[in-house]
Amino acid sequence: MRTALRWLRARADDVAVLLLTAMFVAFIVQITSRYVFNHPLGWTLEVCVTMWLWAVMWGSAFCLSNDDHVRFDMLYHAVGQRTRRVFAGICALAIVIALASALPATWDFVSFLTIKKSAVLRIPLAYIFGIYLVFMVAAIAMYGHRLVRVLKGPAETEDVEHEAAR
Amino acid sequence: MSTAFALCLLALFTLAAIGMPIAHATIVGAVVYLAVAGQDLGLAGEQIVYGIYDSFVLLAVPLFIVAANIMNAGSISDRLLEFCVALVGRFKGGLGHVNVVASLIFSGMSGSAVADAAGIGKVIIDMMAKSGHYTRGYAAAITAASATIGPIIPPSIPMVLYALVSDASIGYLFLGGVLPGLLMGAMLMVMNAVISRRRGFEADDVVPLKKLPNLTLRAFPALLMPVILLYGIYGGATTPTEAAAVAAAYALLVSAVLYRGVTLGNLRAIMLSSVKSSASVGLVIGGALILNYVVASEKVPEALAAAMEGMEVSWVAFMIAINLLLLALGCILDATTIILVIIPLFVPAALAMGVDPIHFGVVVVVNCMIGLITPPYGILLFVINGVTGITLKEMIVEVWPFLIALLIALALIVAFPEIVLWLPIEFGYKPGG
Repeated sequence: MRTALRWLRARADDVAVLLLTAMFVAFIVQITSRYVFNHPLGWTLEVCVTMWLWAVMWGSAFCLSNDDHVRFDMLYHAVGQRTRRVFAGICALAIVIALASALPATWDFVSFLTIKKSAVLRIPLAYIFGIYLVFMVAAIAMYGHRLVRVLKGPAETEDVEHEAAR
Repeated sequence: MSTAFALCLLALFTLAAIGMPIAHATIVGAVVYLAVAGQDLGLAGEQIVYGIYDSFVLLAVPLFIVAANIMNAGSISDRLLEFCVALVGRFKGGLGHVNVVASLIFSGMSGSAVADAAGIGKVIIDMMAKSGHYTRGYAAAITAASATIGPIIPPSIPMVLYALVSDASIGYLFLGGVLPGLLMGAMLMVMNAVISRRRGFEADDVVPLKKLPNLTLRAFPALLMPVILLYGIYGGATTPTEAAAVAAAYALLVSAVLYRGVTLGNLRAIMLSSVKSSASVGLVIGGALILNYVVASEKVPEALAAAMEGMEVSWVAFMIAINLLLLALGCILDATTIILVIIPLFVPAALAMGVDPIHFGVVVVVNCMIGLITPPYGILLFVINGVTGITLKEMIVEVWPFLIALLIALALIVAFPEIVLWLPIEFGYKPGG
């Protein structure tokens, strides 16, 4: 189970690397074609912004652990183990409730965009913006899992988290 | 203030305070707001995805991150350092000066203070500690202080973020940062010279002058980078975002082909660490976009601006108040959070007070960068602690004089807008609008 999870993490990292690389390459193609060949392209820009959106959401969903995010953790580290568990539990619960309750409306918003297409490549925006749904579901699952762990026992939640992220 | 907005802020600040990632806390706060206000909960996601998808300027953020990571992985930083040692290492407190000058040059290529501290900063701390002339804490403290210049001299990720929330021109903001950055560097070098004399630091080994041309040649392709960047942007050839991509491509070319410091194997590691930093910054930006939507629909900035005008304070008093507030926030909050979440509240007020948006932006960024080294929450201190193992206590004891030097620079920049605005005006900027 653990090896499988680690393998999946590594593949998720691969995807993230590909997304950023694709964005970078598309940008270079755009600049080269605009300044060197004097022939501006439209699709490169669209690829760039799409890859950027995907890299942010995919990366946040599958490549970053709770500790990798920008956090204010002074108070968290100052309190004792017990309080820390309460804090971690409250945060996980709040994220699960908020994202889960926003999920149906977000689904409606995204699926409505099936009829709207991107400017150049004519890709339905639903596919492009669908990555946000992926992020939501992944975050609900990740923090749901964290909540269960916090409730279960006094195990060092941070350490487990770190290990899973490696 | 509506009930919905009050509950939104309560949720946001409580959850962020007990350790929820800032980005998630803003999303949760926004969902609370939408729920209580009876609006469509899907609006949160809509604001985030459209915001990220529609802002072309934001692409500069991941590109600058990639460029900085490539420079640190290749030998660009090392060669620059050799060059700086030969250039200013001969003076008393030499390696301290080298540290500042290297940061000044490096900041002309990278837009991130953290990249500066973790890359070139780590190397020079090792050099200073090895020389035996400085304490480890001193080496770390001056490195942290000089790394704050990174995002002041263009390019600059925080300035891109400020441009996003204020609609100010990135090009003029970048130009506005040049003189303040040099001023900060000068203040730090003066402080280093004074301390070196007073504490009797021994002179460092001097590189013979006749070696300088050769070392300059070795560092030349790296030294060319700020020139390419600035020419691209101000020669009107490229937009700042395109310049960011060119910078990354150039860094890759120089590192991989010329210096042979980057291979396919570590390229994956570079891209992975870049995508991780980009994602965590990107998500905070997304969260800030939805929060800005909430704040705007509550008309908070307008109310603040009206209140300021009602109080009839002068712009100087306003600037002093805002700087004190930001310095206080900088002790506990991250710069990205301050610029994206707090600053939008005050931009209309600043404009109403007659403060120039470019001047305000540069002041804000300088202030936030000083916040990166103010304990207890000084991200640069944490980064240096992470890469060198020098304890926070050692650094904090030594960082005060440099903090004072930077605060004097900040005060000068606030009091004399010309320091910021002179260069943009030379390039055609019309102040006050």
